[in-house]
Amino acid sequence: MIRLQNIEKVYRTDTVETLALNSISLDIAKGEFLSIMGPSGCGKSTLLNIIGLLDIPTKGEIKIDEQKTDSLSDKQLANFRNKKLGFIFQSYHLINDLKVLDNVELPLLYRESSAKERKDLASEALGKVGLSNRVKHFPTQLSGGQKQRVAIARAIVGRPEIILADEPTGNLDSTMGNEVMDILLNLNKSDGTTIVMVTHDENMAKKTHRLVRLFDGSQVQ
Amino acid sequence: MFKHLLTLIWNKKKQNLLMIAEVLISFLVIFALSTLIVFYYLNYRKPLGLEYENVWVVSYSNPLKTENGDSLKLFYKDLLNTVEALPQVKKTGFCSNNIPFYQNTWSGSLKGNGKEINNVDNYWVDENYQDVLHVKLISGRWFTKDDVLAKQKPILINQKLEKELFGKQSALGKLVDEGNRKIIGVVEDVKAKGDYSTPKVSMYMKVDTGSWHFIQRLLVKVSPNADAAFEGRLYKTIAGMMKNSNLEIEHLVDKRKSINYFSLVPMIVSLIVAVFLIINVALGLFGVLWYNINKRRGEIGLRRAIGATGKSVSSQLVSESMILATLSLVIGTFFAIQFPLLDVFDLPKEVYLIALVLSILFIYLLVFICSLYPGKQAAAIYPAVALHEE
Repeated sequence: MIRLQNIEKVYRTDTVETLALNSISLDIAKGEFLSIMGPSGCGKSTLLNIIGLLDIPTKGEIKIDEQKTDSLSDKQLANFRNKKLGFIFQSYHLINDLKVLDNVELPLLYRESSAKERKDLASEALGKVGLSNRVKHFPTQLSGGQKQRVAIARAIVGRPEIILADEPTGNLDSTMGNEVMDILLNLNKSDGTTIVMVTHDENMAKKTHRLVRLFDGSQVQ
Repeated sequence: MFKHLLTLIWNKKKQNLLMIAEVLISFLVIFALSTLIVFYYLNYRKPLGLEYENVWVVSYSNPLKTENGDSLKLFYKDLLNTVEALPQVKKTGFCSNNIPFYQNTWSGSLKGNGKEINNVDNYWVDENYQDVLHVKLISGRWFTKDDVLAKQKPILINQKLEKELFGKQSALGKLVDEGNRKIIGVVEDVKAKGDYSTPKVSMYMKVDTGSWHFIQRLLVKVSPNADAAFEGRLYKTIAGMMKNSNLEIEHLVDKRKSINYFSLVPMIVSLIVAVFLIINVALGLFGVLWYNINKRRGEIGLRRAIGATGKSVSSQLVSESMILATLSLVIGTFFAIQFPLLDVFDLPKEVYLIALVLSILFIYLLVFICSLYPGKQAAAIYPAVALHEE
């Protein structure tokens, strides 16, 4: 489903050149739950950003569903992210000025859908993560675990085929982390959603189908 | 998306209050200035009501040590004949000190048709006044020499006074001031205080024996080629006849210019102040929007990640600014509309309404321009970087 071939990412400043990813090749199958591990600064998030088409590799090629992504325009990329991908971040990235329901509806605003349709889909997504009773709350009124569940609801509301999660349990205690992990596992199992997750937690990684380890920008496992 | 933006703005009302207040204050200032400009412009477009080119004004003090009207009348008649005999003089006429474009005013009240109109400009003129200044007669006639014999003193009024006294009826032949005066003609309104002024209610009375002692202005219509040499000759001729008088010759062209400055100076000063204010407001708006974008980098990154294009991020920020401007304008319009409703400053309603529309358009344009660049910058935010910063 996702094919990365010889991906290289170099960050350049006037004086320094940093190799963030070095010749990464990776095939992720449809329905797979893959975790990426490695020490801080090894390029995990950079790799996830590249898979999520939020960043462009310096070299190499990405194909999603056999479709090359390097020649897509800004509009096509945005459309692709909107329809195919769902993002979950360590720091949730919820808009504090919007209620939970409005936050979850966000991805649907960028596609053709009626207000009713958006509300129904958002309510359904919140139901899946067990937050039906928090729709009118603001993110600041929620706990960390609840915030991350809202972020998951936002990621799945558009029914994407792929979910990219960047340390989704990083800011949570073990109980809440397990709750979030269970939701992701359930999504993968019941809906067949492909999930790529960056994590520092070996226990979480063990629950996934496959583990990829990075070190200094190179794939070591 | 519109509803989403409204929700977002409403939920951030405290943060948006500063920008709403800033736009509101600038709108009110722009409205005040637009009102002034529109008022002047509409006045400027109206006809002046007279011809001032080649009209010189001779000012003098009473040359005779008498206030006897008959003696004065004979002396002035002699003076008029002498001046009119000069080759480049076309016509001359005596009038009171409140000549158009002069700062002097002479006003009183006039009763008629059951009403009393105050602040009516009173012009004391002779039968030649119309030929000198070409005040346009709308109906009736100008003064003649025989008017001195009339039982009721003849007067002419301007259109504005006719309308105030008689509405749509004609004023011709009507008796006013408890039957002491009779309206014999109606003239076009004259913008006596310059091109940007509003014509006032006016009436014209004929100089008679009792009024010669305060008549101290002689209007001289000269041919277009009358030069400084001729002006010197005119001065000498009059000075020869008025040995004890202080003489001064001025041109109505210069007086018009000078009185126009009086109107333009406050407008120019207000414009300069407004331009500085607008620059400040523009910089303020720009700063607030720029600050908002920097504060919202994470949100912008997120929106890009979930499907927003750069263009839609940019238009979202511009639209948010325009909605905020609309909120300010709704409040501002509520205050501005009170001016025509309560008839503040006695200006025509159309002045306020045109100024209101212009101010609204100006504010929209200002906010749009100020939000364009920050919007463009927001569109250029790299989602991966913005999300990482959060």
